[in-house]
Amino acid sequence: MSTLHSASRLTAIAAIGTTLVSLTFSAAWAQDKPLSGVTLTLASQNDQFGAVLANLAPKFKEATGAELKVEIMDYGQLLTKTTADYLGDTKGYDLVTMDIVWAGAYSENRYSVDLTDWVARDAAELELDDIYPVILESLGQYNGRYVAFPFAAYANVLAYRKDLFDAAGLKAPADMEEFVADAKKLTDPSKKQYGFVANGQLGPAVAQDWMQYNSQLGGSILGADGKPALNSEANVNSLAVYKQLFAEAAPPGAIEYDWGGREESFRQGLAAMMQTWSVGAPGYSDPSISKVVGKTGIALAPVAKGVKQTYGVGGWGLAVNADIDDKQKEAAWTFIKWLVSKPIHKEFNLMGAGSFMRRSQMTDPELLAKFDFLPVIAETYEHGNGEYRPRIPQYPEIQDILGKAVNSVLAGAAEPKAALDQAQAAAEKLF
Amino acid sequence: MTALSDACILAASEDARIWTMARKYTMTDTELPVAVPRQILRSRRDNSFGYFVRRRYFLLFLALPAFVYVMIVGVGPLARGAWYSLFDYNLQRPARTRFAGLDNYITVFTDQSSLLAIYNTFLFTIVGVTVQLILGFGIALLLWRDDRFNRTCLAFLLIPATITPLVVGLIFKGLLGADYGMVGHLLANAGIGPEGGLLSDGRTALWVLIAIDCWEWTPLMALILLAGLKALPVDVLEAARADGATATQRFARIILPLMLPSVFLALILRVMDAFRVFDTVFVTTGGGPGDATQTLMLLAVKEGLSFFNIGYASAIGNVTIAFIAIMASILVLAVRRTDVRING
Amino acid sequence: MNAAATQLIARRVLLVAITVVFLLPVAWLISTAYKPSSQIFSIPPRLGFTPTLEQFRSVFSYFHVWSLLKSSLIISGGSVILSLLLGVPAGYSLARSRSRLASLCAYFFLAIRMVPAVAALIPFYMVMRDIGLLGTWWAVIIINTMLNCAFVTWMMFSYFRSLPPELEEAAMTDGCTQMGAFLKVAVPSARSGMIASALFCIMFSWNDFLYPMFLTRLDTKPLSVALLTAYGTKDITWGTLGALAHFSTVPIVLMALFLNRYFVQGATNGVQ
Repeated sequence: MSTLHSASRLTAIAAIGTTLVSLTFSAAWAQDKPLSGVTLTLASQNDQFGAVLANLAPKFKEATGAELKVEIMDYGQLLTKTTADYLGDTKGYDLVTMDIVWAGAYSENRYSVDLTDWVARDAAELELDDIYPVILESLGQYNGRYVAFPFAAYANVLAYRKDLFDAAGLKAPADMEEFVADAKKLTDPSKKQYGFVANGQLGPAVAQDWMQYNSQLGGSILGADGKPALNSEANVNSLAVYKQLFAEAAPPGAIEYDWGGREESFRQGLAAMMQTWSVGAPGYSDPSISKVVGKTGIALAPVAKGVKQTYGVGGWGLAVNADIDDKQKEAAWTFIKWLVSKPIHKEFNLMGAGSFMRRSQMTDPELLAKFDFLPVIAETYEHGNGEYRPRIPQYPEIQDILGKAVNSVLAGAAEPKAALDQAQAAAEKLF
Repeated sequence: MTALSDACILAASEDARIWTMARKYTMTDTELPVAVPRQILRSRRDNSFGYFVRRRYFLLFLALPAFVYVMIVGVGPLARGAWYSLFDYNLQRPARTRFAGLDNYITVFTDQSSLLAIYNTFLFTIVGVTVQLILGFGIALLLWRDDRFNRTCLAFLLIPATITPLVVGLIFKGLLGADYGMVGHLLANAGIGPEGGLLSDGRTALWVLIAIDCWEWTPLMALILLAGLKALPVDVLEAARADGATATQRFARIILPLMLPSVFLALILRVMDAFRVFDTVFVTTGGGPGDATQTLMLLAVKEGLSFFNIGYASAIGNVTIAFIAIMASILVLAVRRTDVRING
Repeated sequence: MNAAATQLIARRVLLVAITVVFLLPVAWLISTAYKPSSQIFSIPPRLGFTPTLEQFRSVFSYFHVWSLLKSSLIISGGSVILSLLLGVPAGYSLARSRSRLASLCAYFFLAIRMVPAVAALIPFYMVMRDIGLLGTWWAVIIINTMLNCAFVTWMMFSYFRSLPPELEEAAMTDGCTQMGAFLKVAVPSARSGMIASALFCIMFSWNDFLYPMFLTRLDTKPLSVALLTAYGTKDITWGTLGALAHFSTVPIVLMALFLNRYFVQGATNGVQ
């Protein structure tokens, strides 16, 4: 009896002992991961990449041991909450997705860590020459210093309905004059078919879309001196053209559309042409949300005759909060390097982020098989222009002013010249 | 003692309403539910000076926590905000802070967007609340009789008031869009209203927002007014009916004057909330097109939380408070005067 | 059929029509939660659809729904409890006070509701940061309690004023202490008023989004803030919005439906 008792006791002790030892070993094993115990909080825009970032978090944990928490917010909330975090020094977010146009504000107010030295130091690891220069400059730098590092680049392309164009015997427009003409030709309200769709909604939506068309028609928001020149002749003309397109070629509800609305109308087959960010392109081939599968094409966005051939570039960079402590900053930089590394970034795109930015991705067979419009994007980046929306610190206010002006012109409440004159007066007060 | 208080409570909860009516309209002495000798009560109250003092301290002790809490948590930040409103203070450019005196307030009353916002907010509040009052009264009259059908109806009618205002805005945004919305599509096909949908035209957008507000809050008005109707003295109404008064006469001469307290409550609650409307407008039109649906709250939130112009935003906030206070005072005075005129 | 019966039927038909009008938009939102994404915004809009639960699935994958619900419950519950604790005694005290200031005080509390949220937000945000409560539920509970307890005070003031003081005086004559009289006589008889006030408070706290948006983080975010995110700018995610709105709306609606009579009772005595 007693021997059995002591035998079972011994077994118990042995079992406990082994468990303890193995636990200690595994703990030590876990300690091998460079960032174990670290938690990074990332504030993300609810673009397509938001969900993908959240889905990649476990992989990052496996690679480095760090916990990644992704908080996805809409544009307004993202801007407000992250700015409040910076201003209040509350260290709520370690990483923030920074819209291309916020770079000036970030730089002037020193919201984010100046990454220039780190980029130089880790240039080889980042494989910098594989990333298009225009992306590095406009999505990451301001005045030569890195306020963020690009991770989600978008190209402004023209999405069009190949079937409608073929039926009308037209080819994708080569310049803006053809664009306007084609839009009118393809408009037939009785068949619920409209030649063109763009954002009309008050606020950032209409401001950004109009700024794109404006730059292609030869206008510019800033004058040569860097101060706003909202009511220049070219701008007034392009606003008149935009209004004309809305009146004659856009679906009636377009004046209320934001990005979601116009994407939806294209996917529902309402519109024949739409200039859009490349990130939306995969959606057109998705049968669960699109009614125009197989009927769409992606082409280069046209510019007006006589205007320099550049294409719009936009997107998001990852900024590191300047308020957090150094250990967190290092961890954040590690995440950025991990995310933009060739293999991970490729997977990022395969998972649906739509954020191509490396030259190698443009010719990668796996990516090309899934996204056949990559050559168009490559061409766009080669001649890309990321400055047509001025990335100055006063950008949010200017965007708000323009948003109101353009929307009221579209609604018929003001004439282009008067609206832009008023906008110019308001913008001048900011300086 | 327990039995006594239990009896009191039982009697009280069932008869409280009647006692109140009796007190107010027949001016007789209240009756106690149990036979406590009045002499004892009176002597206790009159003779014991200590009782009064203790009572006062006790009541003070009960009220103090709430008062202190509200002062610290509410009035404190408000006062700070009011102080900021005297400065040209932008959180993003703190170096450029300077004392501006009443400049921010002057801007509120001279800037075009701001003036339009004031006009829109007043229009929204006055028209909206009036319509809600009339419709709510109508629904309350329909629901007056207390039966299960009416109770169920009221319960369902209250649903719009319980939905998050943000969601309410989104519902109507979805319904009224000219291309996708069920209602918007019908209207656009029939050629009614502006081409881009009712919310897209400056001339119709504000009215649509008022209609949405009515949809959301009329049932709540009806609830408050219904409660008032149910508290009306039945005997007075019966007497009037027996005397041959028509429905209109009964309504105008008896119901309406007696309902003054309910109407006042309903008006003041709704005016305070309607003036500060934000969620629904933010989500449906965002203040547009142009400034057609700009309201004071939208302006304050945009200035304060998007541009971090704390000084200006606080000024707008204070102006809002002032306007509401003025309207509330007008309401109180009007009700008092009518009350005096009618009830003598 | 006599006149009275016709009138009754007419009245009922009218009521049903009105109720339907008020409920149609709600029905539309509920229905979007059961439609597949491609059918929600078909052009032209159609009434028929194939029901599916895919929106609910996507809501659960996109949001931590239970965490959102928990946050909403904690914030609303916490603020209601605190508001009642603060407001009911205060309302009682003002109602029973013989001072002329009492009425004025009650209206002061009501006036707190005049304050636009944004006016107190930034200063409060900075105070919370300094204390270190930013990002916790407490920050939202504290500010919500302030607004709610003011309202509860005013409502209970009206309510207690309609209850005769003789009850408590009788109890005190019989040897009860002042606090005892308050707790054992006044409070139980004010039950319906308290429930009505609590309902109004819950409705406010549950649906408020401006304060929580600023004062909470990812873990403490309530439903009202998540709804704003669901309505994204890059994609019309009406389906997920409809599904999420279920969680936000149904609890409150159920509560309102079942506790309906307290609303009426509470409002009755609030009117005096």
